[in-house]
Amino acid sequence: MTAPAAHAAGVSAPPAAGVSAPHAAGVSAPKAAGVSAPHPAGAPALQAEGLALKLGALRAVDGVSLALHAGQWVAIVGPNGAGKSTLLSLLAGLRKPDAGRVWLQGRDLATLPAPARARALSWLSQQGEAEGDIAAHDVVRLGRLPRHGLFGTPDAADEAAVAQALDETEATPFAARRLNELSGGERQRVLLARALAVQAPVLLLDEPTTHLDAPHQRALLRGLAARARNGAAVAAVLHDLTLALAADRVLVMDRGRIVADGSPADAALRAALVQVFEQAFSIEAVQLAGRARWAVVPHL
Amino acid sequence: MKATLDTPHTRAARAWPEATLLGLGLAALALLLGVAGLAAGSEGWSLAWLHGSQDEWSLVTAIRAPRTVGALLTGGLLGLAGAIAQGLFRNPLADPYLLGSAAGAGLGVVLVLAAGGVLGHYIGLATADWLLRVGLVGAAFVGAVVGVALTLMLARGTARPIVLLLAGVVVGIVLSSISELITLVSPEALRGKQIFMLGTTSFLGWSSCVVLGVVLVPAAALAWRYARALDALVLGEASAASLGLQLPRVRLLLVALMALATGTAVAQAGLVAFVGLVAPHIVRRLVVVTHGPLLLLSAAAGAVLLLAADVAARSVIAPQELPVGVLTAVLGGLYLLVLLRRRQLQA
Amino acid sequence: MASRTLFMRHGLALLAVLLCGQTWAATVVDDRGRTVEIPAAPQRVVSLLPSLTETVCALQACQRLVGTDRFSDWPASVRSLPKLGGLEDTQIERLVALKPDLVLAAGSSRAIDRLEALGLRVVALEPKNLQDTERVIQQIALALGDAAAGTALWQRMQARIDAAAARVPASVRRQKVYFEVASSPYAAGESSFVGETLTRLGMGNVVPAALGPFPKLNPEFVVRAQPDIIMGSVRAVAEMPARPGWGVLRALRDERHCGFASGPWDALVRPGPRLAEAAELLADCLVSLDRPARQNN
Repeated sequence: MTAPAAHAAGVSAPPAAGVSAPHAAGVSAPKAAGVSAPHPAGAPALQAEGLALKLGALRAVDGVSLALHAGQWVAIVGPNGAGKSTLLSLLAGLRKPDAGRVWLQGRDLATLPAPARARALSWLSQQGEAEGDIAAHDVVRLGRLPRHGLFGTPDAADEAAVAQALDETEATPFAARRLNELSGGERQRVLLARALAVQAPVLLLDEPTTHLDAPHQRALLRGLAARARNGAAVAAVLHDLTLALAADRVLVMDRGRIVADGSPADAALRAALVQVFEQAFSIEAVQLAGRARWAVVPHL
Repeated sequence: MKATLDTPHTRAARAWPEATLLGLGLAALALLLGVAGLAAGSEGWSLAWLHGSQDEWSLVTAIRAPRTVGALLTGGLLGLAGAIAQGLFRNPLADPYLLGSAAGAGLGVVLVLAAGGVLGHYIGLATADWLLRVGLVGAAFVGAVVGVALTLMLARGTARPIVLLLAGVVVGIVLSSISELITLVSPEALRGKQIFMLGTTSFLGWSSCVVLGVVLVPAAALAWRYARALDALVLGEASAASLGLQLPRVRLLLVALMALATGTAVAQAGLVAFVGLVAPHIVRRLVVVTHGPLLLLSAAAGAVLLLAADVAARSVIAPQELPVGVLTAVLGGLYLLVLLRRRQLQA
Repeated sequence: MASRTLFMRHGLALLAVLLCGQTWAATVVDDRGRTVEIPAAPQRVVSLLPSLTETVCALQACQRLVGTDRFSDWPASVRSLPKLGGLEDTQIERLVALKPDLVLAAGSSRAIDRLEALGLRVVALEPKNLQDTERVIQQIALALGDAAAGTALWQRMQARIDAAAARVPASVRRQKVYFEVASSPYAAGESSFVGETLTRLGMGNVVPAALGPFPKLNPEFVVRAQPDIIMGSVRAVAEMPARPGWGVLRALRDERHCGFASGPWDALVRPGPRLAEAAELLADCLVSLDRPARQNN
């Protein structure tokens, strides 16, 4: 069905699911590309134009256009009710917009069949609505469903992907325990592992750091950055603004619109961020290991 | 680098034997109870028929043996349906009667009994005879399926589980109210309905066993095939959809399986309570498995449960019998009480 | 002096009249053990149980009935009376509006407390077997102001039952009967009223008294017992041969069975004044089975 798993052998970093320009127009087999190609400045992995959705009387998403490129990881921030989760679910194709279109790897999401979409895009939901007595590693195995479908049998490559995802989220110690018996942080890591196990070229995560303690937050962000470097397009809705400012690019949302889009190094972006949150904090520059970082200091 | 030996998936491979062990244990239990079932007769326990007269032998083969096998098969259907229900609704308190199947079956029974009485008064024997042939079994099955169909129509498909649940409750209430109305005017229907509600294996013959088996085997096979969808549902609706699954279609199939299994079981043995609810619980307590093995083991556990209750029902006050539904309610209720106590102690 | 004797004579007469008036009053002890005083013969009677309705009518007091429960349907004249609901859902308002001076109900009726609180006179009776039936007939007759009618009715019933017993052919006497009252299967044992009637008719019962009046039996028991005669409702008897293992029952093979249609069935399953009719129905059934006996009967 898919090309031989050239990526699995000898790769300890998250497998490359690089999207290079020739693939952008058509089918991309995530496993076939064992190449960690630098992302081209060309076609975006995920593109949206004029997205709008009304939930009742509220304009949850109001004319959003954006492009996510492979090799970048983007943080999406904004106040409560800004429409971040709704935007993410629109981008993931889980909701139909009232207006606008989304292209995934150059294909119109509205007409893309669900299995193909699932192979190219992995989505992690916000609330922990996961509930069940199955073992954690079986939960993570679900991430391989897009690859082999409801009736296919998992092969060694699938098992390797599962093992790797559990390893990345440090969930291996409790992988045999029931999902319902895990603590909040452990569950989140398992669910994260599930999203990572898909090994999709586009990764959309809604509040992935919920319940995670600092070391695991750090591990997560490092993992996301590494995936991006290896060719994936990653977007994560984050509540913690300091973490968000460590991303390659930040999208600031307010009231259903994107009010700022740029690198954290961009002062205008930081100003917009402070403004959108009603000056509840200021952003200070910090020198850390020779690199400029930004920290959010709340005005108490 | 290849996965090391002690990875989750190798650990999972070791966990499989747990499920197999449970399966073997349940099979052994079923066998034991089967023997007990063949011994529990109207004169208490006796295996005399093994070397007894031809009459004894035919009594056992004609009445006791099919009852025992029938109890196993009925319990299997109920256990399977219960596990599907709990997986579909992600609710450990779901049971196979949720979607209006119980109320529908009851209404079917009541209609046939009442119509028989009415027709007996006004219309000729020919029609009454046909009704008899269609029989209570057919009426209960059709009623159960119609009940679920009404629920699906009311909920407009299986897109939203909570709506489906609510629709099931509504249909259940409406259909049982209609039953009550009919039993108000027809005391014959009232008596028949009460008996139906309690459940019994008294008249399960070999033909009933064939019907039960013909439904159980393909239902279990299909359920096994689609069990992964129930695993995916553990993640939640949206996440499962994001994995590329056609959820409404799969859910519809699982609901249909549930209705078929429940309808067949209820038609043959009446409304036996708690088996569908408790069997999956027992399995989940003992092993950690995905829904594939869970469904099959629940069927096995249900079979064992119902047969145990049936053997007890037959032997406790022989030659009298208790309705088996009473015993499953007692056993199931006790189990839930223990569960509740355990939760309270934990909290 | 003359006026004093006159006064005494008037006084005595008055006393006599008062005393005679007192003989109208009845004291009835009902199923709850309560003593109910009935000062005058009731003229507006409500009955909330079919067997009580039938008793009132059998005592020739049918015209005094002003309302019955939903299920009372015998004799035909009561069908036109106002129907006041069943056991659980008696229509209290309607009942009270009928202004009855006596209400007869089963002891298990939920309406009794309410009716008594509303000032109605309620007598709770429910005949469950032969003995009960006699007692109930006597109590109702007493309540209606004519104890003698009760005795007379009972004696007539006994006579009818004896006559029915006399009609039972010698060839079927003392044979064992299996009387099924409901499927799954519930049988009428010796100690039930049906069983008692069968005993009066000189028949045996496969279900001994030790098992209680209406036990739910293991179907094996019936097959083992090989009853000589099977009785039940038409539907039950029709589907018996299809039951697993029941094909070996001689009574089914030789067609020594009686299926009762729903009209006569009511008479059979309701203990009350129709017990005599029940005995006659049973006797009719047994007479119809008086066929040349087979060799191995």
